[in-house]
Amino acid sequence: MALSSVSSSSACKTQTYLHSHSSLPNSVSPLKFNKITPPCHSNLRSPSIVCAQSMAPTAVEPAAAPLLRPDSFGRFGKFGGKYVPETLMYALTELETAFHSLATDHEFQTELEGILRDYVGRETPLYFAERLTEHYKHPDGKGPHIYLKREDLNHTGAHKINNAVAQALLAKRLGKKRIIAETGAGQHGVATATVCARFGLQCIIYMGAQDMERQALNVFRMKLLGAEVRAVHSGTATLKDATSEAIRDWVTNVESTHYILGSVAGPHPYPMMVREFHAVIGKETRKQALEKWGGKPDVLVACVGGGSNAMGLFHEFVDDKDVRMIGVEAAGFGLDSGKHAATLTKGEVGVLHGAMSYLLQDDDGQIIEPHSISAGLDYPGVGPEHSFLKDIGRAEYYSITDAEALEAFKRLSRLEGIIPALETSHALAYLEKLCPTLPDGTKVVLNCSGRGDKDVQTAIKHLEL
Amino acid sequence: MARTYKNFSTATLYHTNQSPFCKPKVFSTKILNLEPIIKDRSLTLCSTVSRNTRDNSIGLKHYVPTRSEVNQTDDTLISTTGKFGRFGGVFVPEILVTCLNKLVAEFSLILHDSEFQAELAMALRDYVGRETPLYFAQRLSNYFKNDDGEGPQIYLKREDLNHGGAHKINNAMAQAMLAKRMGRQSILAATGAGQHGVATAAVCAKLSLDCTIFMGDVDIERQSSNVILMRQLGAQVKSVEGTFKDATSEAIRNWVNDLENSYYLAGTAVGPHPCPSMVREFQSVIGKETRKQAMEKWGGKPDVILACIGSGSNALGIFHEFVRDEDVRLIGVEAGGNGIESGKHSATLAKGEVGVYHGSMSYLLQDDEGQIIGPHSIGVGLEYPGVSPELSFLKDVGRAEFYTVTDEEALDAYSMLCRLEGIFPALEAAHALAYLRKLCPTLPNGTKVVVNCSGRGDKDAATVFKYQQDRAQLTNI
Repeated sequence: MALSSVSSSSACKTQTYLHSHSSLPNSVSPLKFNKITPPCHSNLRSPSIVCAQSMAPTAVEPAAAPLLRPDSFGRFGKFGGKYVPETLMYALTELETAFHSLATDHEFQTELEGILRDYVGRETPLYFAERLTEHYKHPDGKGPHIYLKREDLNHTGAHKINNAVAQALLAKRLGKKRIIAETGAGQHGVATATVCARFGLQCIIYMGAQDMERQALNVFRMKLLGAEVRAVHSGTATLKDATSEAIRDWVTNVESTHYILGSVAGPHPYPMMVREFHAVIGKETRKQALEKWGGKPDVLVACVGGGSNAMGLFHEFVDDKDVRMIGVEAAGFGLDSGKHAATLTKGEVGVLHGAMSYLLQDDDGQIIEPHSISAGLDYPGVGPEHSFLKDIGRAEYYSITDAEALEAFKRLSRLEGIIPALETSHALAYLEKLCPTLPDGTKVVLNCSGRGDKDVQTAIKHLEL
Repeated sequence: MARTYKNFSTATLYHTNQSPFCKPKVFSTKILNLEPIIKDRSLTLCSTVSRNTRDNSIGLKHYVPTRSEVNQTDDTLISTTGKFGRFGGVFVPEILVTCLNKLVAEFSLILHDSEFQAELAMALRDYVGRETPLYFAQRLSNYFKNDDGEGPQIYLKREDLNHGGAHKINNAMAQAMLAKRMGRQSILAATGAGQHGVATAAVCAKLSLDCTIFMGDVDIERQSSNVILMRQLGAQVKSVEGTFKDATSEAIRNWVNDLENSYYLAGTAVGPHPCPSMVREFQSVIGKETRKQAMEKWGGKPDVILACIGSGSNALGIFHEFVRDEDVRLIGVEAGGNGIESGKHSATLAKGEVGVYHGSMSYLLQDDEGQIIGPHSIGVGLEYPGVSPELSFLKDVGRAEFYTVTDEEALDAYSMLCRLEGIFPALEAAHALAYLRKLCPTLPNGTKVVVNCSGRGDKDAATVFKYQQDRAQLTNI
């Protein structure tokens, strides 16, 4: 009933669990976004949950190197897909068609490049972190060379704007005048409000009431940029609930509205689109690496929340087998504490917010509330493409605790005069474990995905305790 | 009475064949053919707009010292380079003269040291994030169109995208590298809004130098977010009673106590020679990029350049490149605070009189007894009772125009840019943007206006928040 676009075959019975966080009587809305957990894992060999649009169930081969990322149904192996209410199917298809046509539209690409260059401030430098490299040298003076891809220098201070700007331009092309988005800590909200101001689009941001209280300054920023910030009181009044509310709005206003999703999660075509819009990071890195040392990076390191900055850096190099890819998630208080956001390490496969991916769920299939000191990594799911890359062993995923991240935050500030976002600090913290294992002269490129001005207050509070 | 010089294109280049280090005041000049000089870019790097005392003509003065000349530097008084007309100079206690001589010498050397310049260029590119874009602000331009749909085209030079969030780092990076080269380990700096403090702390962390920042206690409160950033970057922040001018005095005092080991990193284009020239030279990358980008974008030069003025570093940074192009109009906007008649403002060039402050002769806000008047502005970085001697000179010769904008107008401009372009300008830069309201109606259609967006305004969000809340409360009464 709730997800009519999903036709379940007998091979895998799916049960619909309502989001237990909602205690409101009308939580049984047919349009409510629900999470499905296939109860029998062994039957996931051949995914039989297909789009309503397909004529016959299609068996997708198990992961292999030449597999499309994604295939025509928006799947990366068994992950991804379009688990959405019927009303949204048309919007998603329209979006996908528009995206593909604009990929070859010279005018659009030129306009986007111009905005990325003059408004966002690209290309961002690939900076050789001399003191950090020195810090990681072994006693014999050998060690890897560490480079930082400076996404913190972008306008608004994070990589998020690459995608926001492109999606706003896309929305304008589609004739949509209204933009909606959800936000947790406010960073994606500010990025969205920023581009809406730039393009003169109406902007509505959904934010959990609890988050609004904690992030009053970001709320004010969004309002200054001309956006309307709507408080969401349902559930725990945090990011998950804001996302549900945003989707509800989109379903209601699908003709006039475009939903700017901030990460490589969500239903197809979002994971692919957001990845493509961030792929400029990886493309620039390849070019700059060639200029700087005449080769490719040996190791890529990035933090993973939803996975957008990591995919942006990785995508260019996925087919280069000699390039190692490492994603770093948030281990919060520790993987065994139960208070973390290490989805790829501790999660199990299920469907959340429209896509099949790993997610943090308990035995009843209910979402576990994640925790991380960094709001941007505080997401119980992860992009389906990351789930896929993990399963085929192309990328490695580790996790870092809050304490380790704070140490790394301090370290980069003191050694290089760059204050990284707490999200980025997780990737930086992993260098402690990684560098001793690397041979002399290994080229490590770390995605410095955002600046940490927003996090100093938090850091001070924790570092003093 | 100041004479007005309109014709800079005939400015002659003077080459001195006598070392400025040996004897003060008078040196012979030889007028050379301009062509080969202009072609050699390095020779035009260290130039000062000045008036020849012999025949009163305007020219660009420069010198190219040799290493042996530098080694022979002694304690004699520094020459007249460092003067901008009657402004500038070296009004310092004797104890600082040797130190400043060494600085002048080292500064001259690095200007012609291609290795240093290459290293600086790489740091500016990879660490600071240059070059910054010249961004066509379409919605802002549309906003200022008249009823016929005509109006100027407004471009923003995005210094807010630099690492640290302001133009200050261009200068901090270069000077810190200079200090390291001179073997100084301890860096001292004074900051008002905190941007120079943050920039200095960042580059000191990168170059592993010790960093002490002096900041007025009033400013520490108003720009507390920047104080936190400085400490996070490993700098020591020392509180001084008062505001920026008091912090500057304290920093210089501390410098004098430890001349061998410490280096005073001036953030503003004020102070004794060579500080104004050095800061201007290091900031001039802004203007150089603007020229190149303007040529790429519309195949010409800017018609009007607009910048805010506290002491003048960002203004000089963008103006300097175009001083000799008299078809480029240069406009500086000062802080009018509560209005220039109220007495609570920082409009030095509008209301000041000539005097000596912090080592150089320039306009400054002083009362009848010559005591400094405490300035005020909502743009903390503009709150300085003095101004760069070079700007004083440009005002006197009529090369640049100067106006003022009140706190309220700046705050409105802040909101305007957020709403129209999604960019938070620093409240300082907002002063320049606010002047667009008066300027644009007077400009013909298609005039190219470049505004130096000297910093980002994240640090000011709380101030604007409070201002809007107070205003809302007032209207509710």
